[in-house]
Amino acid sequence: MNKQSRPWAYSFPALVVIGLIVLFPILYTGYISLTNMNVYHWFNFRIIGLQNYGKALFVFDSGFLPALLRTILWTVLNMVIQVAVSFLLAVLLNSEGLVLKNFYKTLLMFPWAMPAYVSILLWRLGIFNSQLGLLNHWLGLLHLAPVNWLNGNVSAFFCCMAVNLWMAFPFMILTMDGAIQSIDKAYYESAVLEGAGTFTRMTRITFPMIRPIVAPAIVLTTFVTFKQFDIVFLMTQQPGAKTGADIHTVITYAYEKAFLTNNYGYSAAISILIFAIIIVLSLLYRNPIRKEGAQ
Amino acid sequence: MIQNPRKRFLRLTATNLFFLVICLAGLVPILYALSVSLNATNSVFSEGFSLLPSQFTFQNYRSVLFNQPFLLWMRNTVLLAAFTVVIALSVSVPAAYAFSRFRFRGRSTTLYLLLLLNAFPSILSMFALYRLLRLMGMVNTYTGLVIVYTGGMTIFSLWNMKGYFDTIPVEIEQAARIDGADDFQIIRKIVLPLAKPTIIVTAILVLISVWNDYIFAINFLSTADKYTLAAGLYTLQATEQTRNWPLFSAASLLASLPVLVIFFAVQKYMQSGLTSGGVKE
Repeated sequence: MNKQSRPWAYSFPALVVIGLIVLFPILYTGYISLTNMNVYHWFNFRIIGLQNYGKALFVFDSGFLPALLRTILWTVLNMVIQVAVSFLLAVLLNSEGLVLKNFYKTLLMFPWAMPAYVSILLWRLGIFNSQLGLLNHWLGLLHLAPVNWLNGNVSAFFCCMAVNLWMAFPFMILTMDGAIQSIDKAYYESAVLEGAGTFTRMTRITFPMIRPIVAPAIVLTTFVTFKQFDIVFLMTQQPGAKTGADIHTVITYAYEKAFLTNNYGYSAAISILIFAIIIVLSLLYRNPIRKEGAQ
Repeated sequence: MIQNPRKRFLRLTATNLFFLVICLAGLVPILYALSVSLNATNSVFSEGFSLLPSQFTFQNYRSVLFNQPFLLWMRNTVLLAAFTVVIALSVSVPAAYAFSRFRFRGRSTTLYLLLLLNAFPSILSMFALYRLLRLMGMVNTYTGLVIVYTGGMTIFSLWNMKGYFDTIPVEIEQAARIDGADDFQIIRKIVLPLAKPTIIVTAILVLISVWNDYIFAINFLSTADKYTLAAGLYTLQATEQTRNWPLFSAASLLASLPVLVIFFAVQKYMQSGLTSGGVKE
């Protein structure tokens, strides 16, 4: 074998697996998106062109555009809070003389280590549930009426956000903590000699120094947040246990159209649109992603 | 840094208190579930919330382990995860090696396309996969589910291990080649031993993601005796949530325990095994 064909031979099995199991279903989804396939047309579907895309993009009532706007709001709010709070916590973790730092770090890591679906279900039942949940229990102790946390759109949205932040903080804090540790202490010493206060040191040294290190992690977390499915689905959309809140993100919306209302062609069109959005976004952030690899 | 010792002491005490409160608050959902699962009195709220159950019992755990199909679900999960790990890794190790060591036409384009494919949320092609598997009669079979899991995990493993291979100096292999070793010998005697940390970490990450998946499991498996832990737990909470809250807490903590143990055991490895992934392109 020559030098050109040998690497292809080595990666052939992997590429076949990926081609058949990942690429082909995506292409098939693209094909389905051009048809009227649904529960009545399981076999006798026909090509209807771009009608599904038209419905998604130009009929506001279809629900895709509101879901997209909601997803963008969800991503922005989550990321801003996540980055700001993680930064503060990471700086505090690195306070001089904090002997128990590693102990705190270990405790902070639990939400990351737990299986996500378990955490979400524990939050849903243990914290937000209107009868069993701790929140309503505490309200009761204050002689306040119980609240159906997951029923209203606004409150359900913020409950989901709380869970997402809870699960996402550990990774961000640890990433920032690692970045802060890589800063040469000499910068701070000379800054102190120059008379710089804590705030100045934070904004002029810590922040700019860790930015290149944490930027790829932030970009990747942004994608993860945009694609988040489990929280909204498990908290509010479970079949048979819907809470009444409509806080669909694009992904839970696509899922519902396929697996609950059985509108396969339309759902496939939504999927392709989401993929297109992700591709455009990742072209914008091409470099940071490449740097970080497939994490 | 020169600081007033009294001020310093106060500041450290405040920081410590702050972190104790934060850590405890962060653990509330887990601690509460733990407390509920260990509490003998069934009315959760008769004596209010406390982290220590008033009447201690292991009854919920016993009944999860012996009266529920928990052990069967766990066996199913281990089986699925093991097959997925073996298949995903055996196809992606040679591929990762090829993409790290050889420079060939189409290399960086392929790598980038793989990343794009990985960016596609697998839930969105789930229906297409379901339809394809149904055509082949593989819905509600482990083969089908292993196929589904293997696909996504292969891209992840390939990229993850390629990054680590990049950090192993190529000089070692060149020296072996001069000594007359062929590709196969180099991979078996030099690359694999050196790459052991990344192979272990990647295997564990694949294992954990199969362990933690519920959405494919509940859609592709339809009979309860085939369920994985995640699918079983999902059904447990979906069907009889309020009555079985203590039981569900016990089951979900038991299902999380192996993941927690593994996570903390390899956590050091994970940081080096992962972050080294992107150092060299």
